[in-house]
Amino acid sequence: MLQLFRRLILRPLRRDLTRTLLTLVSIALGVAVVIAIDLAGDAATGSFQSSMTTLLGKVDYEITNNGGVDETLFGKLATLPLNARFTPVIQQPVGVAVPGVPGASATSFEELLSGSTTMYGVDIIGNPDAAANAADASGDLDPENLEQFVVVSSELADRLHLKKGAALELQGSEKNARFEVRYVVPNQRSEWVAVDIAAAQDLLSMQGRVDRMEIFLAPQQDEQAFLKTVRAVIPDAYELETPGARSEENRRMLRAFRWNLRILSYISLIVGAFLIYNSIAVSVVRRRGEIGILRAIGTSSRAVLAIFLGEAMLLGLVGSLLGVALGRVLAGGLLKLIAVTVNALFVTSAPGEIALSFTAVATAVASGLGVAFHSALLPSLEAAGVAPAEAMRRASRDHAAKLHVRRDLVWSVTLAVAAALLSQMGPIAGRPVAGYLATLLMIAAAAMVSPVFVTGLLRSLRGPLKKVGGAEGLLAGRSLTASLARTSIIVTALATAIAMMVSVGIMVGSFRETVQMWISSQLRADLYLRGAGPPSAGVYPPISSDIQGLIADTEGVDKAEAFRGFEFRYEGARATFGAGEIAIQKGLGALQFLQGNSQEILTSLQAEDHCVVSEPFSNKHHVKVGDVLQIPLGKKIAPLRVMGIYYEYSSDRGYVITDWSTLRKYLPEQPVTNVAVWLKPGFDQEKVQRVLETELRKYPVTIAANRMLREQAVIIFDRTFAVTYALEAVAILVAMLGAANALLALVLDRRREIGLIRYLGATTPQVRKMILTEAGLIGLLSGALGLALGSALSLVLIFVINKQSFGWTIQFHPPGVLLGAALLLVWVVTVLAGVYPASVAAALQPVETIHEE
Amino acid sequence: MFPSKVSSAISIRNARKVYEGGVEALRGVSLEIRPGQVTALLGRSGCGKTTMLNLCGAMDFVTSGEVEIEGKLTNTLDDAALTALRRNRIGFIFQFFQLLPALTAQENVEMPLLLAGAKNAAATALERLTWVGIPEKAKSLPFQLSGGQMQRVAIARAMAHNPAILVADEPTGNLDTASGDVVLQLIRRAADEFGAAVVMATHSLEAAAIADVKVRMRDGHIESVE
Repeated sequence: MLQLFRRLILRPLRRDLTRTLLTLVSIALGVAVVIAIDLAGDAATGSFQSSMTTLLGKVDYEITNNGGVDETLFGKLATLPLNARFTPVIQQPVGVAVPGVPGASATSFEELLSGSTTMYGVDIIGNPDAAANAADASGDLDPENLEQFVVVSSELADRLHLKKGAALELQGSEKNARFEVRYVVPNQRSEWVAVDIAAAQDLLSMQGRVDRMEIFLAPQQDEQAFLKTVRAVIPDAYELETPGARSEENRRMLRAFRWNLRILSYISLIVGAFLIYNSIAVSVVRRRGEIGILRAIGTSSRAVLAIFLGEAMLLGLVGSLLGVALGRVLAGGLLKLIAVTVNALFVTSAPGEIALSFTAVATAVASGLGVAFHSALLPSLEAAGVAPAEAMRRASRDHAAKLHVRRDLVWSVTLAVAAALLSQMGPIAGRPVAGYLATLLMIAAAAMVSPVFVTGLLRSLRGPLKKVGGAEGLLAGRSLTASLARTSIIVTALATAIAMMVSVGIMVGSFRETVQMWISSQLRADLYLRGAGPPSAGVYPPISSDIQGLIADTEGVDKAEAFRGFEFRYEGARATFGAGEIAIQKGLGALQFLQGNSQEILTSLQAEDHCVVSEPFSNKHHVKVGDVLQIPLGKKIAPLRVMGIYYEYSSDRGYVITDWSTLRKYLPEQPVTNVAVWLKPGFDQEKVQRVLETELRKYPVTIAANRMLREQAVIIFDRTFAVTYALEAVAILVAMLGAANALLALVLDRRREIGLIRYLGATTPQVRKMILTEAGLIGLLSGALGLALGSALSLVLIFVINKQSFGWTIQFHPPGVLLGAALLLVWVVTVLAGVYPASVAAALQPVETIHEE
Repeated sequence: MFPSKVSSAISIRNARKVYEGGVEALRGVSLEIRPGQVTALLGRSGCGKTTMLNLCGAMDFVTSGEVEIEGKLTNTLDDAALTALRRNRIGFIFQFFQLLPALTAQENVEMPLLLAGAKNAAATALERLTWVGIPEKAKSLPFQLSGGQMQRVAIARAMAHNPAILVADEPTGNLDTASGDVVLQLIRRAADEFGAAVVMATHSLEAAAIADVKVRMRDGHIESVE
């Protein structure tokens, strides 16, 4: 058996080493992308709890509330007859500075924000783990000096060059304070600083309030009894849940994003599938004589099937293993890109370690093998069906492909109609499953129409090809038609990759244009102020109550709108609650609503308990105009009537916006988090900004000009989609390798014909030109089919998958010039993929090839 | 009949050909092939006929000795010059027809003309197809033709550019007698009407019968020239 395997599988693979290697690399790249996206996605989303676990140990439960948890609750909880420990925690961004080190003036938005970090306020005395960190070398903890010490993460210590004993200034919204670094926690992947909770409250003016209460249960504590007792004590608006639930919530929040990335990553594998099909089909056609002999000497058709499936599985296995190794390396590069998106659009997290788990490896190998098996099944079955006496030539087989034109067309139309119907369906379990299926069916429809498309287009190009390309043009066009089955496969593979590029290009281009238009209407003020802190979704550092007055008194300032944003939870998902000065908004007309008169909607907001919601919030929670949202605010649950749904593209999590008056009704003392400043006509924006920066220098705020914010939005947008470009590049690369592979196979199988035209007087440059013309034609056919398929796919991406995944309405704005340039580039690369096969063709010896028969 | 010229189209002088691996296909042969004449190379398989044809068609070089085609010593020519020589002065006919399967009969005939950049290739091709007697098959693909028709298309293609030399390798070897007779008549007419120097390798006595010169070969030697 082993000998048979070696002779019938390994030997042919070795004989065609270049083609074997090209196929292996194609599979490896496809698998590598799948596993890399999986690993990088896991690492980017898997570390929400790491900092808290480092600081306090493993937390069992936590109590949270929109707008903060009342500190007096701690006293009530501590007296309960429970075997549990309660710890109040504050988690807020603060400004950081190393005393004596002058800060350079920021030239970019990122630099502007680099002087901030996440501060954890924890009860050091009440927590053994935190106390151990804060204790000095002798293990002593001096309670008197507690409020002067900080513990910092290695990541922050590295950035600010902090060592034990160094001084560090923390800048809260209301005051600044100097601390001494007591301990640097090693091996941390994120920046944070921990202080005693009293110091944190003092810095942020959060007396009497904390962000959440962490709970540690003793092993002997009955969990049900604990839940019942605690729930009886806490207000209805408060939530009691496990930190795991929060991680789960984060994962849920990222699910759509990760799903879409995962689906994109599978495109390379689909492209690879066409190439495996092609590779095995070539092998079957080429070894038809051999199959006949094997069958004649008693080999069963099942054994023949096993030979070809074995060949495919071997390619799949080796390719997948190579892919796993390559994927691990790729994941490192992708992690940064994905982490940027996660932080910008979804939730603050620090990337974790990339862990190559057994499950990830098994999934990747199974994907590779599955794709290899299924794509090889059809040609292998065909091989098994060869009768011993049958000596069919390739020409007759390719001709057979032509005879199925009508059947293929019917299939193609049926699949396209099915795809159109699926596109009309809603999400299943919150996922655009029908949309994904529709894209698969559309690719299948393109694959079925490919032979008709190839013959049709090549037929219409006959005249021009002969006129412009002469003998080489005529031969190139006809050879591709003659090898129709193979040409169609490679055209479909390349077209799939191009379609992915086109569809994602149109989607991203349209999205970019939509976002830019939205930003133009949204960002109307001259300057924007926010508290110092990371520019992540859900982070709204409060700013001092003095600031508004200082701004109003600054010369050149016309008006300033104060905004309060904070993260809140609605139906188990995080969103942003915002309160603004609706009177100012009314004058601007910045908010664009899906329907209704914006002035009327904004006027209605000035009444109490009215709100507007963003489009993603509306889609995610199925909220309509007129619905009443029950939102826990403080200790009460606020019934807010939805008056309008507005377009919003800054975050997928969604917004609920009210007037200040409504927010103050439930949470009376709320700090401002953002201020938009309009200048009087004739005042220089840069000058006023400098004045404000000087005036507000002692407050941890950042001031950004309108232009800088717009630029930053585009930078974040482009970074967000960088990963999709990387995936597209790999799919195109796989398709290119496939094109080179297929052309090489065509050259080798047509060596007699190539030898013949050398007899007829063709020069080697003419032979080269012929193969390069074939490559160019494959590029042209693939580009045309890919453009058509990609345009159709882009509609599904924009109006079905994106809408159901993230809830954004994207206007259709195909980036024509960019797409044209990308298609031209792909065409040039396809022609380049023909260079090696062309050299092989030119080097063929006519005498040897013509007498092979 | 086209008047036969005195000078040779091909002169083979003391030609030796040793292939890689040491097989000596030709052991010092000399032969003159004249325009307007049909020269038949006869002998068993492996006697050196195909090697002689390759030398006559400028497809291969001698190991020693000389091959002169229309006054040019082939081993002094580079690949481009040899290609030009084939393209402009030599036509080939093969035992298995060797038509390009993706092209119609007319396009197959056009091919050498197009490769040479000739004008009116389509008209000339149709003319040649008329000459071989199957103009109605101009638009047919090779798989739609009989063996005899395919070989006629191959002859039309070989004669498309009016070559000085026609090299034919077992032209009737794959045909029935009737088709073979038609093909032999066409080959004879190529020499008579176009003045081509025809060199033909064959096993067939019928084929040899149309030849002006019969060269019998054995083990890389010329046994006799009649």
